[in-house]
Amino acid sequence: MGKYVLKRLLHGAVSVIIVVIVVMVLIYSLMNRNLIFAQDPNYTHQSNNNRITYTYQKWEDYGYLDYVTYADYINQLQRSGEIDSATRDTVVSLGRKAENDSEETAEYVQRFTEYYESQGYTVQRLDVVMSGRRVANGGQQQLFAYRDIPVFKRALSYFVNLLFIDDIHYVSDDVDIGERGVTFTWFDPVYGGEKFSPAIIGNGTYHKYLLYCDSSFPYIHQNVASIRLGLSYSVNMGVDVFDTMSLSQGTYSYADITYPSGHMENSADDLHSATYMQGSRATSALLQDRFADDYTNVASVRSGHSKLGYSFIIGIISVIMAYVLGLPVGLAMALRKDKLLDKLGTIYIMFIIAVPSLAYIFMFKAVGGKVFGLPTLFDMDSAEKMMYILPIVSLALPSIANLMKWMRRYMIDQMNSDYVKFARAGGLSEGEIFTKHIWKNALIPIVHGIPGSVIFAMTGAIITERVYVVPGAGNLLTQAINKYDNGVIVGVTLFYAVLSVVSLILGDLLMATVDPRISFSTKER
Amino acid sequence: MDNKIDLKELGYTDEELFSHIDHSNAESEKITAPRYSYWRSVFRVFFRNKVNIIVLTLLVLVIVFAYVYPSVIGYDATVDPYINLMNSQSKHLNPSKAMELFGRSIHWILGTGGSGQSTWDAMWYGSRISISLAFICAAINMTIGVLLGAVWGFSKRVDAIMMEVYNIIGNVPLILIISVMAMLFSPTFWTMVLAMTVIGWIGIAFFIRTQVVIIRDREYNLASKCLGTSTIKIAMKNILPFMTSVIVTLLATEIPSYISYEVFLSYIGMGMSEMSLGRLIYQSETAMVTPGWEIEFWSPVVIASIITVVLYVVGQNLGDASDPRTHME
Repeated sequence: MGKYVLKRLLHGAVSVIIVVIVVMVLIYSLMNRNLIFAQDPNYTHQSNNNRITYTYQKWEDYGYLDYVTYADYINQLQRSGEIDSATRDTVVSLGRKAENDSEETAEYVQRFTEYYESQGYTVQRLDVVMSGRRVANGGQQQLFAYRDIPVFKRALSYFVNLLFIDDIHYVSDDVDIGERGVTFTWFDPVYGGEKFSPAIIGNGTYHKYLLYCDSSFPYIHQNVASIRLGLSYSVNMGVDVFDTMSLSQGTYSYADITYPSGHMENSADDLHSATYMQGSRATSALLQDRFADDYTNVASVRSGHSKLGYSFIIGIISVIMAYVLGLPVGLAMALRKDKLLDKLGTIYIMFIIAVPSLAYIFMFKAVGGKVFGLPTLFDMDSAEKMMYILPIVSLALPSIANLMKWMRRYMIDQMNSDYVKFARAGGLSEGEIFTKHIWKNALIPIVHGIPGSVIFAMTGAIITERVYVVPGAGNLLTQAINKYDNGVIVGVTLFYAVLSVVSLILGDLLMATVDPRISFSTKER
Repeated sequence: MDNKIDLKELGYTDEELFSHIDHSNAESEKITAPRYSYWRSVFRVFFRNKVNIIVLTLLVLVIVFAYVYPSVIGYDATVDPYINLMNSQSKHLNPSKAMELFGRSIHWILGTGGSGQSTWDAMWYGSRISISLAFICAAINMTIGVLLGAVWGFSKRVDAIMMEVYNIIGNVPLILIISVMAMLFSPTFWTMVLAMTVIGWIGIAFFIRTQVVIIRDREYNLASKCLGTSTIKIAMKNILPFMTSVIVTLLATEIPSYISYEVFLSYIGMGMSEMSLGRLIYQSETAMVTPGWEIEFWSPVVIASIITVVLYVVGQNLGDASDPRTHME
């Protein structure tokens, strides 16, 4: 059994990797890479040469290419001790055009060009853009080199970086941050250092708090290992896809907190989320006031659930509703085949299959809003529970139809099978035949779908969430596609692919537990 | 003899009595069975149900309207939707107001839309595009799917490869494929066809494969094989008749599903540039929440629902009728 599961998992992993590579090839090599700037306000504010260098910078940030500017190169030379700071200052300033370069500069420009061209880079020089007698806005001269990263190399680094493990050498060794290490305390300083709350605090790590406790589920949290699905560009700029899906949303919830410096304030900062930001304290008086070290990058405490959270709440309730209602109704339809209930049920099933889902969801919205007076729009900041009803019902009704259809089908197949006729001929009562034979056999294929429906409750439903404005995860993929956010597309695809592989395996295992005849351990019987 | 009965006395006519017939070699080779034509029986069973006649009439009516009406009125998709763009009084009118403004004619029986266009005309033109898309996609996917599915089911070697392909492709979100297509090419009608067919066939092929695997090893096929029937003949004579009803039933769910899918894609903003039903719904979404304008939104929704339901019912019942087991009286 264990061996079988392992084999299935490996198989699943391979198929997930292929899917992600296919998607990466599709979007990174076939799609025009300028499209990622379509929704970026910073891009439209840049002009002339600055806009060009901005695009290359962003392409480097989002993994399209390696990009080196001339200034980076010169600074690098200075750091390695090849040139002193006086030489650096003279050679770093480029002439307005190549022919205006000073002699020393020309020499280093030549070296830069030769070095990077030998590495397969393309070197590009942008001459100054003038507006009248002055340099135009963003028109400064530029010199840089870039090299495309092949998709397969990119995919490889994506998978390597998927799991991020924090360690005490995360912060560059050049930076002096005192003694690196991990300390354990029974009294978490976030709570003033008096309340009993164990925590592990790191110095030199990316996260300050590696392990801590708080009052929200699951009470003990860790930051040692985190999943990184890729950076978002336009959907949630600079934030990882997994965080985009799992961080809470909504309005800030304020509380009195004590900062590491002892400063007290009513703030929404979540000190447990502090991450390292090099040199941040030195540049901001505000941060100096509050923090004792460079672990200053904190997230905010928000009152709402995460995207996955909202989708899951709505999804899981509708799944439960679907099973609780769909199975008995399907059963009743099978037992009263060709009677009124069966006919009504069949019409309902036909309605759900044939009518576009958009049409009936809008119909539910109109009926729910006008006839029952239910709220038709979702509001994250309200504590109203009624707003959950319509999305849940809209999600549940189609799954009810689906379950009814299959339950009825399986029941009828079982009722007409030979062993049931034999059991009846053998004198078993109808009740016995039903509870001991038909019911159990009909449920086996139904059981197979349960893990899938529970897991996919998390990913949300695209139309339902859009129609009721639910801030869930269902919209993420379409939003990403509309905004050309390639990082999110890849991340979400990976997430979906993993979920579907896992739910299939779980379904098979559950089926094998329910039905003793199914066995995965022996190959041939 | 005493026990001899005179047949004449019993009063039987000659026709009721045995008579001597000469032996004929040609006659002895014939097998007598009731005359049976498969397709005639299919239609006999189909038309026996009165509901089918009504629904089929409705389907024909919808298709005629979608294909003939826009041609008859000379609907031009580049001109007609914007014909009243400059007339600020013509926008979002209900039917009676529109008729007041433009005079009584069939164009205004559903009022006007956001740019003063006729909702009725746009609805039928949109239906034409949506129905065409559904039929073309279904034709391509079904042809590829059925042929490939049959091979997939028959050959164990192909099965091993195709299962892997299926497991992988099945995980790629379809909207991803479609949107990448839409971004690569301009989102036209044929791009949409390409996007829907590029991996759409695989589900159908898998379904057909499963059906083929189920009946491939049935006893009667094994018997045929033992008697030396060629694989092609088994496929054509033993398996294809069994598959007809399965294929028709599948078609009944496929065609409406493309219309639904097109509506869905347009709604999330990934549809084609043509004014299909989905795009009409997408564009009039705001009208749905505005009192008095709802008709603009509901007319394409309702017509899309009617088309899909009618296609589905006709297909399902035709599928039932094409199952030879229902032909017995």
